[in-house]
Amino acid sequence: MTTGFWPQVTAVAGRDLLRERRQGDVLWITIPFGAIALLLVPLAIGTDAVLLREIGPGMYWVIVMLFGVLVAVGKASSETVPQQDASSLLGLDPAAGFVGRAASATLLLLVFEVVVGIVAVGLYDISVIGVPWLLATLLIVAIGLALLGTLTGSIVNSTSTGTALVPLLVAPLSVPLLLGATQAYEGLRLGHSIVSWVLLMVAVVLVVAIIGVLTARPLQET
Amino acid sequence: MPQQTRVRRWPWVAIALSLATALTFALVSPPDDTQGDLVRIMYVHVPAAWLAYLAFFVTFIGSVAYLLTRHLRWDRIAAASAEIGVYFTGLAIALGMIWAKPTWGVWWTWDARLTLTAIMFFVYLGYLALRRTTDDPVARANRSAVLGIVGAVQIPLVHFSVVWWRTLHQPPSIIKPDGPAIQDPMMLVALIVGVLAFTVVYVSLMVERIELIHLEDQRNAFERIADQSVAGDSVTAPDLGGSS
Amino acid sequence: MSDWGWVALAYGVTYGSLGVFAASIAVRIRNARRALGETE
Repeated sequence: MTTGFWPQVTAVAGRDLLRERRQGDVLWITIPFGAIALLLVPLAIGTDAVLLREIGPGMYWVIVMLFGVLVAVGKASSETVPQQDASSLLGLDPAAGFVGRAASATLLLLVFEVVVGIVAVGLYDISVIGVPWLLATLLIVAIGLALLGTLTGSIVNSTSTGTALVPLLVAPLSVPLLLGATQAYEGLRLGHSIVSWVLLMVAVVLVVAIIGVLTARPLQET
Repeated sequence: MPQQTRVRRWPWVAIALSLATALTFALVSPPDDTQGDLVRIMYVHVPAAWLAYLAFFVTFIGSVAYLLTRHLRWDRIAAASAEIGVYFTGLAIALGMIWAKPTWGVWWTWDARLTLTAIMFFVYLGYLALRRTTDDPVARANRSAVLGIVGAVQIPLVHFSVVWWRTLHQPPSIIKPDGPAIQDPMMLVALIVGVLAFTVVYVSLMVERIELIHLEDQRNAFERIADQSVAGDSVTAPDLGGSS
Repeated sequence: MSDWGWVALAYGVTYGSLGVFAASIAVRIRNARRALGETE
């Protein structure tokens, strides 16, 4: 195991991404799941174009929050106890492990957001405006959700009950991200300033990152 | 041998007495000028909400204290307070709905306080769900403490986001009374007595609930030991032949 | 429903749920004490 914080982060993130390349559950399962959810909504509530344009952005972000977190779950909680023991014996800094897993989850979440976003734009005729701020929002949400999912993933069992619990735990905590993202898009559409919403989301990211790093070592001492 | 405390009576007595007192004041106080007798619902709704926030604050303190000291007592305090907090939050929401229906004609409005309370309910429900998945008291304490801290620290951020969201989207036509304007000192007294009574209830329930966690952990520990085979089981008596 | 009806509902829910909650804790404490008493 390499020493040094950032090399370890890169090693952990690389391992996670390699695992995703082999198993491909984000690409083949979670993304299609998010996409079909977007498909189901108009079937249930009506296909009127005006209505869909109205609810489209909100539906997209809800799907990101609820299903996107599954991206982080798979990577964080797939470590069994023997694997965790092996990692700590090899000298892996738990905080580096946390940041590494969150980093790989962020990347996968970005892919999720972009692909599902394209589907949403197509099905709901969402206008793509303010692209720089929009991309920033996508990135901040991806980081925030990845951090929440990774942190929550590390406090549940690596059992099916534990994995099922993560979305429930993350959902209420993701409200500032949900409101920030939806209000940011609203603001871009109406030409308002969205700085306060962006700062709120950044605050979420910082808070969760700090707590995750500080509690990584205490959590391992189980 | 586990230490067992003597059976305590005072918590139950305290609960009964304080609730009786609060009920008396609530019934005796005068009706409100605009809301009429519906204002009496406030004398249980507001205390329930106050206790909900207090309980979750205690969970936060307990979680931090546990991670710093590693004494399981703090974990028990955090967990007991979370469960009682979930109860009071649910009660506050239910009472808010019972008050809202005759007042505004709908069970639910999406105002900031109600929405925030509902979100808090799910945060701590998740905390309880997490505790149920782990048997080992130390692992359970570690995990719960982290969630307790993350949840509590996120609450202010959730609060800001919901309040900003509502100020942007508040329908201007609905005149919402935020709560009773206190016209009569007896109304204020009824409210304060209610808050005090519920606080006594909280403390009493805490004492008993912490005891229960302690007892159940001891019982689980005994059952775990009882389930394990004794080392000598693998050794059988030698067969010496001959008649038994 | 009259105003007093809603008030009665509110207080019924409050005291009823509180009673159930408190009673369940008391019963579980008694059961746990019994279980520990037996294994001693």
